[in-house]
Amino acid sequence: PGYPSHGTPAQQPGMGQITQGMGNLAMPNQAQHQAPQMQSRPQMNQLYPTDLLNQPLNVSELDLPPPPIILPPNTSVTPSPDANCAPKYVRSTLNAVPTTHSLLKKSRLPFALVIQPYSSLHDHEDPVPVVPDQVIARCRRCRSYINPFVTFLDQGHRWRCNMCNLTNEVPQAFDWDAASQKQLDRWARPELNHAVVEFVAPQEYMVRPPQPLVYLFLFDVSYSSVTNGLLATGARCILESLDRIPNADRRTRLGFMAVDSSLHYFSIPRDDSENGEPSMMVVSDLDEPFLPTPADLLVTLTECRENIENFLGSLQEMFQNSTNAGSCMGSALRAGHKLISPVGGKLTVLTATLPNIGHGKLEIREDKKLLGTSKESTLLQTGNSFYKSFAVECSKNQVSIDMFLFSSQYQDVASLSNLPRYTGGQTYFYPGWNAARSEDAIKFAREFSDYLSAEIGLEAVLRVRATTGLRMSTFYGNFFNRSSDLCAFPAFPRDQGYVVEVAIDESLTKGVVCLQSAVLHTTCNGERRIRVMTLALPTTQILADVYASADQAAITTVFSHKAVERALGSGLEPARDALKAKLIELLHTFRKELAGGNMGGGGLQFPANLRCLPVLFLGLMKNIGLRHSTQIPSDMRSTALCQLSTLPLPLLIQFIYPKFYSLHDMPGNAGVPDHETGDIVLPPPINLSSLSFVPYGLYLIDDGQTQFLWVGREAVPQLVEDVFDVPDRTQLKVGKTTIPILENDFNDRVRAVVEKSRDHRSKGVGSIVVPSLYVVREDGEPGMRLWAQSMLVEDRAEQGVSLSQWLGMLREKMSEEGGFLSSFS
Amino acid sequence: MDYEALKDQWSEIEDRDGIRLSWNTFPSSRMEASRLVVPIGALYTPLKEKPDTPLLQYEPVTCKAPCRAVLNPFATVDTRARLWICPFCLSRNGLPAHYKDITQDNIPPELHPSSTTIEYRLARPAPAPPIFVYVVDTCQEEDSLKALKDSLVMRFSLLHPNSLVGLITFGTRAQVHELGYTECAKSYVFRGSKDYAAKQVQEMLGLSTSGIRTNVPPQPGRPAPVVGPAARFLLPVQQCEFQLTNALEQLQKDPWPVANDKRSLRCTGVALSVAVGLLETSFQKRRWEDHVLREPIRSHHDIDKDNIKYYKKALKFYDNLAKRVSHNGHIVDIFAGCLDQVGLLEMKGLCNSTGGHMILTDSFTSSQFKQSFVRVFDKDAMDNLVMGFNASLEVLTTKELKVTGLIGHAISLNKKSNSVGETECGIGNTCSWKMCGIDPTASYGLYFEIANQGGPAQHQQGPQKGMMQFLTYYQHSSGQFHLRVTTVARNLSGPAGDPAIAQSFDQEAAAVLMSRIAVFKAEVDDGPDVLRWVDRMLIRLCSRFAEYRKDDPSSFRLEKNFTLYPQFMFHLRRSHFLQVFNSSPDETAFYRHVLNHEYVGDSLVMIQPTLDSYTFDQEGSMPVLLDSASIQPTHILLLDTFFQILIFHGETMAEWRKAGYQDQEGYENFKSILEQPKEDARELVQDRFPLPRFIICDAGGSQARFLLSKLNPSTTHTTSAYGGAPSAQTIFTDDVSLQSFMDHLMKLAVSGTS
Ligand SMILES: [Zn+2]
Ligand SMILES: [Zn+2]
Repeated sequence: PGYPSHGTPAQQPGMGQITQGMGNLAMPNQAQHQAPQMQSRPQMNQLYPTDLLNQPLNVSELDLPPPPIILPPNTSVTPSPDANCAPKYVRSTLNAVPTTHSLLKKSRLPFALVIQPYSSLHDHEDPVPVVPDQVIARCRRCRSYINPFVTFLDQGHRWRCNMCNLTNEVPQAFDWDAASQKQLDRWARPELNHAVVEFVAPQEYMVRPPQPLVYLFLFDVSYSSVTNGLLATGARCILESLDRIPNADRRTRLGFMAVDSSLHYFSIPRDDSENGEPSMMVVSDLDEPFLPTPADLLVTLTECRENIENFLGSLQEMFQNSTNAGSCMGSALRAGHKLISPVGGKLTVLTATLPNIGHGKLEIREDKKLLGTSKESTLLQTGNSFYKSFAVECSKNQVSIDMFLFSSQYQDVASLSNLPRYTGGQTYFYPGWNAARSEDAIKFAREFSDYLSAEIGLEAVLRVRATTGLRMSTFYGNFFNRSSDLCAFPAFPRDQGYVVEVAIDESLTKGVVCLQSAVLHTTCNGERRIRVMTLALPTTQILADVYASADQAAITTVFSHKAVERALGSGLEPARDALKAKLIELLHTFRKELAGGNMGGGGLQFPANLRCLPVLFLGLMKNIGLRHSTQIPSDMRSTALCQLSTLPLPLLIQFIYPKFYSLHDMPGNAGVPDHETGDIVLPPPINLSSLSFVPYGLYLIDDGQTQFLWVGREAVPQLVEDVFDVPDRTQLKVGKTTIPILENDFNDRVRAVVEKSRDHRSKGVGSIVVPSLYVVREDGEPGMRLWAQSMLVEDRAEQGVSLSQWLGMLREKMSEEGGFLSSFS
Repeated sequence: MDYEALKDQWSEIEDRDGIRLSWNTFPSSRMEASRLVVPIGALYTPLKEKPDTPLLQYEPVTCKAPCRAVLNPFATVDTRARLWICPFCLSRNGLPAHYKDITQDNIPPELHPSSTTIEYRLARPAPAPPIFVYVVDTCQEEDSLKALKDSLVMRFSLLHPNSLVGLITFGTRAQVHELGYTECAKSYVFRGSKDYAAKQVQEMLGLSTSGIRTNVPPQPGRPAPVVGPAARFLLPVQQCEFQLTNALEQLQKDPWPVANDKRSLRCTGVALSVAVGLLETSFQKRRWEDHVLREPIRSHHDIDKDNIKYYKKALKFYDNLAKRVSHNGHIVDIFAGCLDQVGLLEMKGLCNSTGGHMILTDSFTSSQFKQSFVRVFDKDAMDNLVMGFNASLEVLTTKELKVTGLIGHAISLNKKSNSVGETECGIGNTCSWKMCGIDPTASYGLYFEIANQGGPAQHQQGPQKGMMQFLTYYQHSSGQFHLRVTTVARNLSGPAGDPAIAQSFDQEAAAVLMSRIAVFKAEVDDGPDVLRWVDRMLIRLCSRFAEYRKDDPSSFRLEKNFTLYPQFMFHLRRSHFLQVFNSSPDETAFYRHVLNHEYVGDSLVMIQPTLDSYTFDQEGSMPVLLDSASIQPTHILLLDTFFQILIFHGETMAEWRKAGYQDQEGYENFKSILEQPKEDARELVQDRFPLPRFIICDAGGSQARFLLSKLNPSTTHTTSAYGGAPSAQTIFTDDVSLQSFMDHLMKLAVSGTS
């Protein structure tokens, strides 16, 4: 096909053509088949400049894969299609790496990896090849793991490290199958065929025997937790999920504490003991929490299964008459830490109360007057230094904390979220949750059950090694930086992403660089393993190549993390300003360096592969975590900031630019299974603009956390009846809902779309989140409508600009004199 | 009246009034009083069982304030004028209207001459049933713990179903069991190494009503708590029997690891202070408490030397606790069931100032423990516990007499009156004392002085009398308040040198009253100082009341009612009440505790044990001297030290028994001699509390040391060195014998140098 030549934007190719072109290029084999000697330099992605103004964004572009990584032929030792790392594990912002620091600086683009070591909650849903024989070939100097991009020398007796060039001996047992006592085909070894593998680690990789999986549940049993049903629901959910908690090695241990103004410990006897009744020990001395008894507070699930069930069955009754409004959760955490720190494990906190007694006592800081002002960010910072220092202490002792927060009042998510942040945990917030509402109960039960079932890793560290000249400079995500390049995770979750910025310290001389991420961890079955992900990227000296291979989704992810850091450090406005400045800087750089400085006929020039960046940055600035508003409670903000800094990339992009589907007119194949794959087909996504609405329509807006079913003001009774089983629109209740199962095709399809839109697995990520579904009527309750409309990123709303205003403003900035230096370095 | 007749009279009075006086004629001048050496004192048993005395179901008639003496047989009643004259203050009081029908022949019971002791049942009902809080140590071996659990469970069945019970267990930590909680076993745990204030305890148990902990109002539709917050921990035994039994059954040996070279860490102090804090919550008054404890070992040596700091700290802690407890009206009983030192020495204040029991036994598995434990819960014919709660004892005197103090298990109520003396003996400077717990055998030493004034008042005919009235208010276990009134009147002596005073000396009562003073002094003074004091007082008494020619010991004679007194003092000097070297600190604390509780007869047994001998040529037993000379090969001895009952077989007796003669025909006589002391011992044990330790031993056996240590060393290794083959047991001791003690005494008494 005739592609437009480099740097000539005269002809604007349709999006379809570009997609098709990229699809072709994405097949390196095909590229290899072309005569390489004819090229003076390796084939690179072509730069396709487009005009953002004249050619409006098609939202399906958001779903395009990143620009392909084009490696020279025979870069890998095996021809395996999996020799290079798939983007769902590791994505680089730049799929062509500048050879020098100055070129990178000139590009103004970030160089960073977006790492998601796991793409599902359970191994079987996305298996990774395992190297079981404990023969782990590593470079003597840089400690890199052998991978498909090494070079074998001396008839295969030695290998050259692709990171540091050192020549290493191939281990004796490398070609030997100890199990069958036979010679092994080296070229079949997983670590030479797959960029993502898991090594079973031998003894040397353990400081101590692999710890068992430990969950210590801290139940809030104060008045609010009892009355909103949290205690009952939480206990029942654990009870019903006991079979799902990973326990293949039968060593999994559970413990339970209840917390109000006192600490309640529970001693649960073994199933074979005479008295199966649990006993409760209350400690009210919060000064320095202590354990009431040295034994039976953490019990082995397998040995105490029946009595654990009895206990969970009666937990609700134990506290049903509570009128206690206190919560000494900080002290409880200390106590819990004391209890499990000899082993390590998870502290799972379920609470509906602000910690108001004891260690880490918090005040109600929320002040409506501060919202929307420069002082708002103080509310987003930690209210008590306990939460940071204690979290660091936990990290040292292999204790990870997850917070499930349910308060109907201010709960200081800002402070509490520090606990998960430094311990590899997560903060889950359920504002206004009440078990009496079945949607709330079901959402939490599903999420909590999935949470319990997740095959988390334990006692984990993440380290990224790279080709000489590259250095990991900055790390983002929920963990604690134990040393300059080592991220520590007491527990390694399966639903989070991490960002590592890479610095170019020395000029890169090779055509290909490698970045190897390794997660050393203990599986929840007590096995020590290393998950290794090796990404090979071509280098270039040409700025156009860098731009043409830049990954807009990865770049957005990097700036999402940076914006959160800026928001917490300097404030929301500086964070938004920095995003804006960064975008202007990139547009400017592109115009100046690659588009010959011309304005392209009054348009706004940007490469095709980065066309979504302006709208993604706009979405980020308008996200609940960052947007300018006087209405957003700080708990909601803080929660969003947690999400912006932990969500795996596909969910993050959706959180920034939600999915929007028109349902009333969806094509015939939508909402029904695909003929070939059997997967439900989603309708084509549409732009997040109220211009997309027709008054009689039915729409789904889904940011991955919340789903809105938008019912137009003229929605016909038939549609309303088919979907919701009510005679007409006016009788449709807005708010949280469950779509009834009705005997009609449209109902089936709507439900299928809603359900499919929630499906994490098809997005290639692990997540426990089940979005709440709200019905919104265009002519209904305004609060609800405004909330849904806040998702319409392209609209003008509150103090946020519309997409066209945004682009117009950007264009204006381009015509102004002088450059813009982003405050994001 | 001869001595035997006097003794009978005193015994009769003791039966009727529960009182024995050191002097039964009071000196009428202070000068005369000062020469008595032994103070005027009374050993009084306020609640002595008197099944024949009617219980008056009406309020007592009292003199006007501030006297408040209760109408008694010594009052002058003018039936016509409807007046009575108070013998204490000489005020005239009108008789109440309902006494209008009384005549000389028809007088109310309290005026009857035999009603020197009378009891009223007052209209004031006690506010609530008694509370029993058990504080149980879990740092013990499983079998011991098991035995203790069994005893406790059995004991609950003996409680009145309305009695409130609470349970606190402790080891490394202290646990308060929430017996009102039915969902599962629930307890509140306290750190063992911390001193909790009462307010803290209450807050931590969720009993305080203020603050964030309970600021949510009860919701409509949710049941409001029916009773006070402490009701979660203290419940009627009938309501919480299941929880209580369950909690006890689940009780395990303290699970915390103990280092090999260390003893278990116990937080007795915390457990007790938590118990007190719990009771202080909403039960400020009139309650009962009860403990079962053990604590780490200390010896007298430790206390004297290295650990003095710790000891003093502990003592201060427990003394403060004792103050709180007695102030609140709680009773602390301590049952120690082990050979270890449990810290009774430090904790003694808890029992001593609350009228609680202190029982030291070898093990909770011993019958000694089990039976004593049950005995505390003896009930009367009406099925009421034989004990009184929250009592006060007030003493009124006529103006010649002033009360100087009390020695016994009580604390001062700091009440001043005209009856309070200038000097202090025991707990003084008050006319009223408080006993949180009081039982029918609890006896108190009360001491008096003669007021510094001229001769006797001349307003009455006949011999002048000095009078005392004892008013004991207490909460009967039936729930009502009672008042026991004992009025004592004794002649005042005539002009100086009246021989009636010497004749009225009750040497037994005097010995016991002096022993209490000696022990009281021993608690504060050094051992040797107290012994010197005992000696000096004895010598002075003998100088004053013996007949002798100056500087001629051989002329020394004592009247019959003085002859035993020096012996009592001799044995007191040697007793474990004053000699602490052969006892542990806890034993000493225990012995002294019991001495301060018993009446004259039992106290004398403690001071001078009884020894009976059994042999072939006599019928039954024969009292013999508490002397090594009493040990004979063909005799069996029965020793009663109150704390121990010991049967000792002389050498020959033991050999024959071992040879089995008692089972052979023709030796029935021998068999019966073997049996008799056992039967007699059983008789002795019958009513004794705490149950004594029972020992059977043979001459030469190791257990025989218990006997030998009590005997007068008339034939020691030093004396036998001169004699030929000694016929009696030789005692290896450096103690002086009674004989040389007496020799010294006589020499000093007649020298007039004291
Ligand atoms: Zn290397
Ligand atoms: Zn009077």
